[in-house]
Amino acid sequence: MSDADCLLPGQPIVLPTGPAPRLGRGVYEKNGQVRASLVGRPHHDGSTLAISRTRPHPPAPNSIVLGSVTRLSPVQALLSISVVDGVPTPPGEEFTGVIRVQDVRATEKDKIKIADCFRGGDVVRGQVISLGDARSYFITTARNDLGVIFATSEAGATLEPVSWERMRCSKTGSIEKRKCAKPEGL
Amino acid sequence: MAAPAFDRRRVNGPEESFPPVFEEDREVKKISKRTDRENGDFRPVFLQPGLITQANGSAYIETSKTKISCAIYGPHQSKNAAYSENGRLNVEVKYAPYSCHRRKAPIRDAEDRTIGVAIHQALLSSVRLELLPKSTIDIFIIIIESDGLEASIAAGSIAASTALADAGIELFGLVTSCSAFNEAQALMDDNDLWIDPTLEEAQAAKGTLILSTMPALETVTSVWQNGRMQPADVLKCMELCQQRCVQMHAIVARSLVDNNQVEPSE
Repeated sequence: MSDADCLLPGQPIVLPTGPAPRLGRGVYEKNGQVRASLVGRPHHDGSTLAISRTRPHPPAPNSIVLGSVTRLSPVQALLSISVVDGVPTPPGEEFTGVIRVQDVRATEKDKIKIADCFRGGDVVRGQVISLGDARSYFITTARNDLGVIFATSEAGATLEPVSWERMRCSKTGSIEKRKCAKPEGL
Repeated sequence: MAAPAFDRRRVNGPEESFPPVFEEDREVKKISKRTDRENGDFRPVFLQPGLITQANGSAYIETSKTKISCAIYGPHQSKNAAYSENGRLNVEVKYAPYSCHRRKAPIRDAEDRTIGVAIHQALLSSVRLELLPKSTIDIFIIIIESDGLEASIAAGSIAASTALADAGIELFGLVTSCSAFNEAQALMDDNDLWIDPTLEEAQAAKGTLILSTMPALETVTSVWQNGRMQPADVLKCMELCQQRCVQMHAIVARSLVDNNQVEPSE
């Protein structure tokens, strides 16, 4: 019966009687009929009905993204997004994100200097706040768990976070300024 | 056909060359009776999704002398385009140089674009583009062997829709496509409507029609009619094509389900 379980785009989904489920990814409703829009098996996740496929998808508001800093300016840092919600984008198909100076952290927004928060090549975890303009998505790091998660020092060694705005070089011990993400599990 | 842009990196051969024209070729072409199938049947179809591993999704379709492969890349961020709420579909069609009777120069010409526009039209209303703001889906179609424009458009639409489903792009439904033609030069009395013309049949046809539908939703995505055809014949053709589209839908569904079982999605 595995044939019958696998739905195809456009195929109606028979719903059990009871409260109608919320529709997640991979399903849609047209003229009162719930249909599949992906190839796969539908599953209930709480009250949400969805067909999930772990395929790369473009960032949406509230997506958690990983990317590396490609360009800095006094007003913003440009990010090349290579992971969206834990799914890597295909090589050569990175999305462009922007961290504006007011989105770096939640407090003392007027004192932020981009150069004291990010450097070229840093790997940053951020959250998409809007689809942004024609070129890029707007990213924020104004949360404890968001910010730089990997960076190298001027000496070329890996930096270790010592506070939320400082990192130490593992080779020379010099301190560099970054907006660090709080490591998981602390 | 003088090439508008001369490509120095290829072996171009002489600028113009033509095959010899024989006396019998000049005669008005007549449609010979079909021996391998009924007038209302399409050619046997082989459809295989997921052949090109580098692409996000792909499909290969073969209907006797029409062979088409299709690759889907994306969705990725639209480059140098204005902000758009909806995603975009970008269809590019290429002929292999050896795909036709006469060698095709590896340069985009009007015929490629005609097929690209027709396939774009057939697919456009089936893709849930409202879910992909600022993104572009690239559809690359390579015609490996061509047996007429109509068959290429119909088979190309089916391959592209199968590849989109294989790529995991959200669709309202699967698109299938079928072509038909009426023929009045040779058999005036027998004014039958024929399905799925070959190159010879399409050249001798009076009028042709390509219908693209989403059989699951019972909706038509595109109708493309060429040449002379009576309105009553157009309606009859559409009805006939729609029946064949439903049959074709079963083939597409079968191939996708089989492919999904070989490598189940995570």
